[in-house]
Amino acid sequence: MARYGMALDYKNCINCKACEVACKEENGVWLGADKYRIWVGVKEIEGEYPLLSIASSTFYPGQCMQCENAPCQDVCPTNATYYDENGVVRVDADKCILCTYCINACPYDARYIDERTLTVDKCTFCSDTRLARGLTTTACQNTCPTKVRTFGDLDDPNSEISQLLMNREYKQMKSNLGTKPKLFYLL
Amino acid sequence: MNNISVKNLFDFKKTPLNLLLAFVTLVLLGAFIGGIINFFVHGHESYNVTRQHPWGLLIIMYIFFVVSSTGLCIISSIGHVFGIEEFKIIGKRAIAGAIITLVAGFAVIAFEIGHPIRMVIYNVLTPGFTSAIWWMGTLYGIYLFFILLEFFFLTIKVDHKWSKIFGTAGLLAGLSAHSNLGAVFGFMIARPTANGVFYPVYFIITAMITGCYLIYLMYGFKYRNNYPPEVKAMFLKLNKILGMLIAILIFFEGWKIITALYGAMPEKSATILKTATSPEFMYGEVLLGMLIPFIVILFSNAKAIKPMVYASFLGMIGIFFMRYDLVHDTLIYPMQKLKITEYQLAPTWIEYFPSPTEFAIGFGGIGLAIFLYYLSEKLFDLDPDKN
Repeated sequence: MARYGMALDYKNCINCKACEVACKEENGVWLGADKYRIWVGVKEIEGEYPLLSIASSTFYPGQCMQCENAPCQDVCPTNATYYDENGVVRVDADKCILCTYCINACPYDARYIDERTLTVDKCTFCSDTRLARGLTTTACQNTCPTKVRTFGDLDDPNSEISQLLMNREYKQMKSNLGTKPKLFYLL
Repeated sequence: MNNISVKNLFDFKKTPLNLLLAFVTLVLLGAFIGGIINFFVHGHESYNVTRQHPWGLLIIMYIFFVVSSTGLCIISSIGHVFGIEEFKIIGKRAIAGAIITLVAGFAVIAFEIGHPIRMVIYNVLTPGFTSAIWWMGTLYGIYLFFILLEFFFLTIKVDHKWSKIFGTAGLLAGLSAHSNLGAVFGFMIARPTANGVFYPVYFIITAMITGCYLIYLMYGFKYRNNYPPEVKAMFLKLNKILGMLIAILIFFEGWKIITALYGAMPEKSATILKTATSPEFMYGEVLLGMLIPFIVILFSNAKAIKPMVYASFLGMIGIFFMRYDLVHDTLIYPMQKLKITEYQLAPTWIEYFPSPTEFAIGFGGIGLAIFLYYLSEKLFDLDPDKN
């Protein structure tokens, strides 16, 4: 039993998109503009040349926030969306009826339709692939050249992620909604 | 129940209006079948719904139909549940309409839900009690059961005691189901324009207005503006109820817009400003759906009957735009604020326009409803009992 979360040192992100490629490769996510579990948001430079704000240019790697109070789970009519034993929000493809209510209800646009199973799919922290094989890292974390991501057990005070969250300030996306995201953006 | 042959079934008076309606119905039914075939060949790819706009015209038309059903049930209950004399004559016809529109709604949404059979199984095996869709679907199932029994005791085995019992149960189930449909939108914390108490209440008000419009259309078509005194008496009362309901709706909409704009709350005010200034809202919802019928009632001192039939037709077009905007406006604001793909422009308002297949199935549902109504008129005596 663990309570998995992820810390993102997002200012280190160079927008190489290796994480997107690794995720697709590891989890068999189809190609296509609509089909992705993770993404890199791009905030472009503000201002006009030569008065450009270099500090304003930021990349925001994102994925399912693995909310502890997930709106997508609340709205699922068949409980196809559930929290697994590690607190990861997962979709049981056998129960999903593809009403797409969860896609509408997710504040982070983290869900899409998986054409393989014709059900809703999302980031699982590689629970059914890498973690199931006994590995301790996610594909996106493992491939990142600038080590943006730190994945681990939030309940273990000695884990790297717990140490990071104890020592660094962080923000959570749309935390005002009360979703309690488990993705932490280190400041 | 009438005993009729297949030949009689398709025998009707060949007036221009009847022939036009028969033609329109056949075209819509053809579109419905064609759309379904295209759906089975190409699947969801034949719809223009996207990751950012996952609900489209079929959800809109489902809401349009179930709003009609609930509205007809509520308006009919004024007579046979609450005992208001003038409305007792509409009982059978309105309940037939409520059943038909609900069936049409289910027929349309069956092609939007990815796995409708799985839905029936897991709705029972692993019910999501925190889901408004679960409550809405389950309550609509119960509602259909009750109004079918109500119709049975109104027309086939006439028993007013049981029809009243099932009518009351159907009314309660319908109200609960329908406000839960509003809650499907009201519960979405991610969507500030929809989140809150507004939609569960708004749905009931607009359902009642839709019910009034449909009563006008059904009786207007049946009597061709040559109404017997009891129908006239019913319409005069209906005008007053409808006028009051539209006035309430105008208040609702007005304050919804003002409170959203006041203080310029992020996301909410921009979305409402965008949607409230759209032609669909101004001409569709406001002009056709509210103002024209309201002005007719207001300036005729609630005595206009013939103009209200035509105003109700425009009103139903307005109601369609209300459903369209309800879904589209809820999804119009992008959840991803930053651009997610290189060489792609930053996300702006989410665009959506239905595909031909969505139009065919969605509007085809109207053809199905008209056809079923025609059948019910042939098979059952929908006029009030003489005693």
